[in-house]
Amino acid sequence: MTDQADFLAQFSNALATRTEAAKDAVVAIRLAHGRHITGMVWRSDIVVVSEQSLPRKDDFELVAAGGSVLTARIAGRDPSTNIAVLRLAESIASPPITVGEAHTGAVALAIGADGAGGVSARLGLVNLAGAEWHSSRGGLIDRRIVLDLRLARSEEGGPVFDAAGACLGMSTFGPRGQVIAIPTATIERIVPLLLKDGRIARGWLGVALQAVAVPDALRQTADQSSGLMVMSVVEDGPAAQAGIVAGDIILSVDGASTHRFRKIAGHFGSDSIGRKADLRLIRSGTVITVQTTIAERPAA
Amino acid sequence: MSDAASKSAPAGGLRVAIYAPDLLRRTALSGVVAEAGHIVVGAQDAADVVLADGDCLPGETRPVVTLGGADYDLPGVLSRQASASQIDAAIRAVSAGLIVRVPDAMDAGFGVMRETDGPALLTPRELEVLATLAEGMTNKAIARRLNISLHTVKFHVESLFRKLGARTRTEAVAKASDRRRYETITL
Repeated sequence: MTDQADFLAQFSNALATRTEAAKDAVVAIRLAHGRHITGMVWRSDIVVVSEQSLPRKDDFELVAAGGSVLTARIAGRDPSTNIAVLRLAESIASPPITVGEAHTGAVALAIGADGAGGVSARLGLVNLAGAEWHSSRGGLIDRRIVLDLRLARSEEGGPVFDAAGACLGMSTFGPRGQVIAIPTATIERIVPLLLKDGRIARGWLGVALQAVAVPDALRQTADQSSGLMVMSVVEDGPAAQAGIVAGDIILSVDGASTHRFRKIAGHFGSDSIGRKADLRLIRSGTVITVQTTIAERPAA
Repeated sequence: MSDAASKSAPAGGLRVAIYAPDLLRRTALSGVVAEAGHIVVGAQDAADVVLADGDCLPGETRPVVTLGGADYDLPGVLSRQASASQIDAAIRAVSAGLIVRVPDAMDAGFGVMRETDGPALLTPRELEVLATLAEGMTNKAIARRLNISLHTVKFHVESLFRKLGARTRTEAVAKASDRRRYETITL
């Protein structure tokens, strides 16, 4: 046998061993019609799941390693980071999780639950490891991790490991079926908050906004080229109470320009609730300042 | 999947069980289904198709059309705002053993916040012109509605085409509504 064949056999054996060792790291969450999704065993009584794929109900049936069936109750969900947490009725074995750092081009092993107490495995590369990003639902994700591997719907929500066996994050689907991972760092940040409150509280003004170019005639006064136009106002919401109307163009929030929404997203974290905010805006051709009180975003 | 279409449904219509926890929605959906020529049956009765408002009950074995449910693997997956004709078409399709998806839903998935770059942003006036284009108005009618000159209307329409990368009015309206759908921020 040549050295190369030995190397391949070793590589293959190592993967099989890693996969076998990961059997306690996943559970299957039963859905209707005999289908399931995967959950990641976070602690002996806590399972992390992909929020977007978890049905909106309270009680779930899980299949743990070896095939034992458990019940679990929803402990919290955060659509903005795509993380949901289930609390198990009884404790199960939970392997320690080491936080892995994603590197573009590194090997990634994604584990799914097969629904009968066993696991399934997917091998690929970290297609792209990038900077932090904001989801379309306004959550901050610590790193962009795109994976070059296929994933079945039933495997979504399982852990993704690097070559050293450290956990890069939880697998999930991005737009157009792209497979991405929610970084372990994000899960570590969000899970305690969900266990405490059941949700991630966010600041809210009660408006729908669309970025627009500031009309030429007003650029000088506004001192910026774009802003966020109010498309609709929620009745009796904080913005409505402050007299904000559809058509107003918001230029800044507490002095922070709305030129890029990502820049002001940070102003509406859970600590913003109850705070007063000064909105500089264009209304019928003049720039005015309106004060509002940030409220808590109602549950969706 | 069972060959439900061949069972004894009345000519042209199917037996549809509606699962909707909310009574108002249930009544509205019953109306939509009956209007389309189907028979609304009780939740436990023999049915060709189950129409579920949101998630259906676990263990459902009949073909299901869900409106806004989280289970994307069901035969029929529509949004909660699906139109009456979409609901009717989906009911007929799943009863014939087909699966139904809305193109938008294929685009679902946890993604990044999209933001248009500065030069391609529309001005408030351009958005007004766009709304009139969506109504199918002519340049002359737009000029009258917005009380601006025909020349100015043409100027705005050209600018819209350029910023949206559109060649026709229909394309401009479609691209703008796409942007609005993906880039509207709720705060």
